[in-house]
Amino acid sequence: MLAFRSFFQLLFHGTLPEAVLTELNLAPRAAGRPAAPATPAPPPVRTADGALQMLAILQRDARLVDFIMEDIAPYSDDQVGAAVRTLHDQCRESLTRYLTLQPVIDGVEGTPTRAPSADPSVVKFIGNVPAGAPSGGTLRHKGWRAVKVDLPAVNPRQDSTVVAPAEIEIE
Amino acid sequence: MEPKYVIGIDLGTTNSALAYAEIRPDAGPLDTPEVRLLAISQVVNPGEVRDEDLLPSFLYLPGQADFPPGSLALPWDPQPGFVVGRLAQKRGVENAGRLVSSAKSWLSHAGVDRTASILPFHAPDGVPKLSPVEASRRYLEHFQRAWDAKMADAPFFLQQVLVTVPASFDAVARELTERAAEEAGYKGVTLIEEPQAAFYAWIDRHPDWRERVQVGDLILVVDIGGGTTDFTLIAVTERGGELALDRVAVGEHILLGGDNIDLALARLVADRLSERGTRIDTFQLQALWSNCRIAKEKLLDPAAASKEVPVTILGKGTGLVGGTIKASLQLADVERVLLDGFFPAVPNTEMPQRARRVGLQEMGLPYAADAAVTRHLARFLRQQAASVEHGAVRRGPSGLACPTHVLFNGGVLNAPMVRERLLEVLDSWLGEEGFPAVQPLTGEDLMHAVSRGAAYYGNARRGRGVRIRGGVPRTYYVGIESAMPSVPGFAAPLKALTVVPFGMEEGTEQRIPNREFGLVVGEPAEFRFFASAVRKNDQPGDLIEDVGDELDELPPMGVELPAAGDGAGVVAVSFETVVTETGMLQLWCVARDGRRWKLEFNVRERVAA
Repeated sequence: MLAFRSFFQLLFHGTLPEAVLTELNLAPRAAGRPAAPATPAPPPVRTADGALQMLAILQRDARLVDFIMEDIAPYSDDQVGAAVRTLHDQCRESLTRYLTLQPVIDGVEGTPTRAPSADPSVVKFIGNVPAGAPSGGTLRHKGWRAVKVDLPAVNPRQDSTVVAPAEIEIE
Repeated sequence: MEPKYVIGIDLGTTNSALAYAEIRPDAGPLDTPEVRLLAISQVVNPGEVRDEDLLPSFLYLPGQADFPPGSLALPWDPQPGFVVGRLAQKRGVENAGRLVSSAKSWLSHAGVDRTASILPFHAPDGVPKLSPVEASRRYLEHFQRAWDAKMADAPFFLQQVLVTVPASFDAVARELTERAAEEAGYKGVTLIEEPQAAFYAWIDRHPDWRERVQVGDLILVVDIGGGTTDFTLIAVTERGGELALDRVAVGEHILLGGDNIDLALARLVADRLSERGTRIDTFQLQALWSNCRIAKEKLLDPAAASKEVPVTILGKGTGLVGGTIKASLQLADVERVLLDGFFPAVPNTEMPQRARRVGLQEMGLPYAADAAVTRHLARFLRQQAASVEHGAVRRGPSGLACPTHVLFNGGVLNAPMVRERLLEVLDSWLGEEGFPAVQPLTGEDLMHAVSRGAAYYGNARRGRGVRIRGGVPRTYYVGIESAMPSVPGFAAPLKALTVVPFGMEEGTEQRIPNREFGLVVGEPAEFRFFASAVRKNDQPGDLIEDVGDELDELPPMGVELPAAGDGAGVVAVSFETVVTETGMLQLWCVARDGRRWKLEFNVRERVAA
């Protein structure tokens, strides 16, 4: 399920794709350097390209789109489970190949933890949050951060809206 | 300019790899250089180049509609006309008619013209074809370019390059491998036998190896790769007060390996499915084949405790869950297929079945008729009994060659179950001959041992470390028709003249005494050519009266003497044999006045005949 969660986070929340695409559009291997202090205006990013590319990869390697778009209601848990095991292995394999994911806070869920940042995109406070920014609390979700993105360059001559090509077999 | 690195290329049936080590002339004799693997850039998906340790030995010949334009670009070639490596392997599953696979097995297949464009073997009309030599050339070219793209300060053609071949490769397959390397632009490539390379890799990892073996020991190397099984015996001897190593025997070429095991498992699962009424097509069998390989590895992993691994074939089309076919592979299945089918416990007198059954994967290749590796091993060790003493081979009372140590190599032998079974079988054979149990030599990293070993050997050739003495692993003969009145319907009886003795060493040459042939100038002359891995005592010039089962016929060798101006019609020549420093076998015709002509293998005409 890790794969799904990260994927949707990537697809629907702003945080991950932005990180992904900044890295993609910037000169390669800018990693390790602290966030550039005085970047005037970030270059315009075409969010769709990166998202579609990732989606196409997960479809190609793990057939994720087929799975999500299929009506699975008529099938038994057993049947769904059998398909998902294979799919999960492959999703995870491709996700970890192209993205290096690490917890935002490398702690134990359920234990008292200090917040490393007051940035709401990094740490989200939940529950009885006081008026001022709290310094910490009980860690409920470690979060995920893509510390490295290693996606292949997009072929400009390829129709990026095709997530999966149609297949025609010659018998 | 002196080479900076030794490069060892393991040109495998299903996977290839490149290892390299720095040449340091000033290093001490025990200071062995570190051997590293080159990450090979290859197209893994359309538009995606990645570095991987292994280069799958697959070549795909794309058509117009196969890949988007520009998506096959490599760092060194913006528009290659073919695909080598991971993507070729993947796409080949979807369209087998354009996939060249197992080129190495074809390279050693005497039943076809190996220089003719015959691959892909089942290509539909209109698909361009390649020869096995050319396919091998392209893999070697890929390594060269991948190296040059990464190691710009040490151009490939300046380095010392070794390419591995199975010990069971005969002189023709070796020559064709060398030709592929030459056509790829390699300068002065050296061939090294894979089991020897595996043993060098072991030595490389055990600098104290001299304390682990002693004079009189006999080391059996069992190398089971994806497509072939290869046996070698190495004897520990003494020379000048130092331990020395002699390669004393090599096995026959056996097309049997891990791919066969995985296919057998896939067939088992497919049979079980069809009993339940679910039929799978060939495309699904391919998917099942690779899923079974993964499942087998999971089940055989000693760290994993699972007794059963689900094997699923996802539905075709967009309906994924609905079309999913569920099956499972159990540890008991794998045990049964491996231990009863491929590694049965057999007595050491049980020989492999000779009868040809229908080929497994590709009709064209002469796959081993008997899948039992243990029977092939029994035959190999028995054959040493049949031959006359050569080197220090320890034997039991029945004549069986009895190794003291065994070294395993190749992916199949990663499985402890298989290693244990082989040890068990060997121990029972040795027990019957009155010897204690065999000692396993533990190698690690079986996938890469061969290329690492080759790189080590490259340094050994420069005096850095021990070198196994081997020489030519076969005896070679030229056929001579007896001078007898011809009888209609019967070929003239054939005798065989020994031209290359077993173990003839690299960098030596030999004149064959007592025989002269009159060759007509300006006309091609052809000699039938034979080899034997079993007859080891025949000396140059010896004549074998009866060309029986012990001799295998190779493609003929031919020569044409240019017509000289003086009009002399017949030149009396004798044979001279040369084994080059790089281990290549050459046969020359030498006239009395010293003029020489080299004989060339005639791969083509044999097939036409």
